[in-house]
Amino acid sequence: MEDGGGGSILESIGSEIIGVMSPVSICMFLVVLLVYSLTNTSASSAVRTAANLVYLESPTDTPAEKLEGALLNALVFVILIAFVTFVLVLLYYYRCTSFLKHYTRFSAFFVLSFMGGPIFLTIIQHFNIPVDSVTCFILLFNFSILGVLSVFSNGVPILIRQSYMVALGIVVAAWFTRLPEWTTWVLLVALALYDLVAVLAPGGPLKILVELASRREEELPALVYEARPTTNANISGSRGGSTLAGLLVAGMSQNDGSDHGVELQAVSASPRTNIGNYENEIASESGHMVINMDNDDEEEVEVVREDQEETSPLMAGNSRERSRSPMMYESTDNSSRRLNEVAVAEMMRPRRERDGDEMIEVMNGRGIKLGLGDFVFYSVLVGRAAMYDLMTVYACYLAIISGLGCTLILLAVCRHALPALPISIALGVIFYFLTRLLMEPFVVGTSSNLMMF
Amino acid sequence: MTVAAGIGYALLALGPSLSLFVAAISQKPFLILTVLSSTLLWLMSLIVLAGVWRAFLPFKTTPSSSAWLPYSILILSSVVFQEGLRVLFWRIYKKLEDILDAFADRVSKPRLFLTDKMQIALAGGMGHGVAHAVFFCLSLLTPAFGPATFYVEKCSQMPFFLVSSMIALAFVTIHTFSMVIAFNGYAEGNRVDQLIVPVVHLVAGMLTLVNLSSGGCIIGIPLLYCMALFTLLHCGKMVWKRLADSQNR
Repeated sequence: MEDGGGGSILESIGSEIIGVMSPVSICMFLVVLLVYSLTNTSASSAVRTAANLVYLESPTDTPAEKLEGALLNALVFVILIAFVTFVLVLLYYYRCTSFLKHYTRFSAFFVLSFMGGPIFLTIIQHFNIPVDSVTCFILLFNFSILGVLSVFSNGVPILIRQSYMVALGIVVAAWFTRLPEWTTWVLLVALALYDLVAVLAPGGPLKILVELASRREEELPALVYEARPTTNANISGSRGGSTLAGLLVAGMSQNDGSDHGVELQAVSASPRTNIGNYENEIASESGHMVINMDNDDEEEVEVVREDQEETSPLMAGNSRERSRSPMMYESTDNSSRRLNEVAVAEMMRPRRERDGDEMIEVMNGRGIKLGLGDFVFYSVLVGRAAMYDLMTVYACYLAIISGLGCTLILLAVCRHALPALPISIALGVIFYFLTRLLMEPFVVGTSSNLMMF
Repeated sequence: MTVAAGIGYALLALGPSLSLFVAAISQKPFLILTVLSSTLLWLMSLIVLAGVWRAFLPFKTTPSSSAWLPYSILILSSVVFQEGLRVLFWRIYKKLEDILDAFADRVSKPRLFLTDKMQIALAGGMGHGVAHAVFFCLSLLTPAFGPATFYVEKCSQMPFFLVSSMIALAFVTIHTFSMVIAFNGYAEGNRVDQLIVPVVHLVAGMLTLVNLSSGGCIIGIPLLYCMALFTLLHCGKMVWKRLADSQNR
């Protein structure tokens, strides 16, 4: 990292954003690959799932019928998700945390083995891989078990955890791409709207859940991708907390030094028989969230600083912050610096959980978090685009990634839980149809005549 | 042909950019973000152009000679639009540079070096180039992965995919390095560099018109590569000069 004349800021800015974007990109890429190579074999037999309970699309229907059916499907699916989420919130409210954890583990197992299994089978059949059934079964079982263990346990390296999150996303998204076309599009839009309401509206289930979790200083008992800066731990000393988000807000305000790790976070209630109800949000998960929320109105802009920034020279000037939440800071401030250094040093070690007071620091020691639901539905959109053409795939990919970037920047400005689906899905859908209707005839028309510019 | 051929065509068009990406860009997250946003900008410009030209397409090619004029107008308008976009991109970049410098002061790190600025320009240009290659070449490459190939009537010497990926490679080179030239020209107030970029782009676009005549690609593609080589050499010379200047200073 010494090139560029010893630590130019280009090397550090934006690494958090890339840390979130790259797994999303990998997930989308693999889903597209899967869809691309398998669509021929897995003939478009309409599967009946909870996402098309009401209406089973057939190619002969008129567009009006398809639209009506798709709307109904989406409505039912969203109501189902909302119901399940409320149940989960209720369970969490009454502190059935271990039940929720076991349930999440079970659903991870279910997804990996019973939904991933058929996908592996199709891959094996499609590429004629010579594997006998016993080996295949053992491999699948091992794969699933490791995945289940990695969901909440301490003993698994973060890299494995992250790859399992991506794998879960791929499997669920691959199933979702089997939905009929109209239903998929309406469903995506409906979910984006639901996400908006559930995270931002007062009384929205996800908002309640995140607030509860932050008040209790616990982790959400859900499938969440953590983009912790683990793999770069050795260089994080030089990265001195200059995320793009931090940078953007830092340009506007002088009030830094808030130590909150603002996190893109997601809750995913588990998938049930081919449905995942995945929702997502961005939460300020630090222990002082309530105080923050109260003060947000008074402070026009506040600076968001990610965890490592505490070790950066900009540390000064959080007296204001301290005066706001005296108790919290007295108890944590002394130890937080030390703990964060420890956290940096021990990045490769598994996460510490439920250590009482240490929870605040441990939480501060984490990066942006993104829900599995985002992975799934971004990938569903791209996978659906892949069934049309490669051009739409690129357009949708760019749209989704830029939507994610916008959400992250908004997160830096707003500093509370934000839904990650709406902007990306809106951009993705718009770009899909623009590309399909406008751009493709244009590009094909010019470049098939070998005209380029 | 098969998967191997498809991958080969894709690598022919994008291989140099890929190695450039791995070597120079991928280690610096900010540059990756620059590539992405520049790609998005180019995509949006393409969509706008497509929206404008959608009504007139496809041109009636039955009297084959009359297709020249509409295509040249199309290329002219597209190049003008995209060069306008380049100026916009420069404006945005200028603002960003100020913010970055302010931020660097705040975290008491050195400001952007000259090489940093050039790398940002390179990343921006690469976004444009990659977007070009992806939308004009790669997205038409899907059939190349299948069991056949495709020839166009006007250029029967080579498969269509080979021609388009070769043209795409030339354009990737032009786009990537002309952004460096342009940013440098804007920063220095160098009129020649500012003008040379649209001219190169326009000439390169017009050279593809040669492909309209039958067998034209045999002549058109070498000429296009001359333009690409010219851009490359000019960029190299300019960067060399600036680096030497800044070291002497």
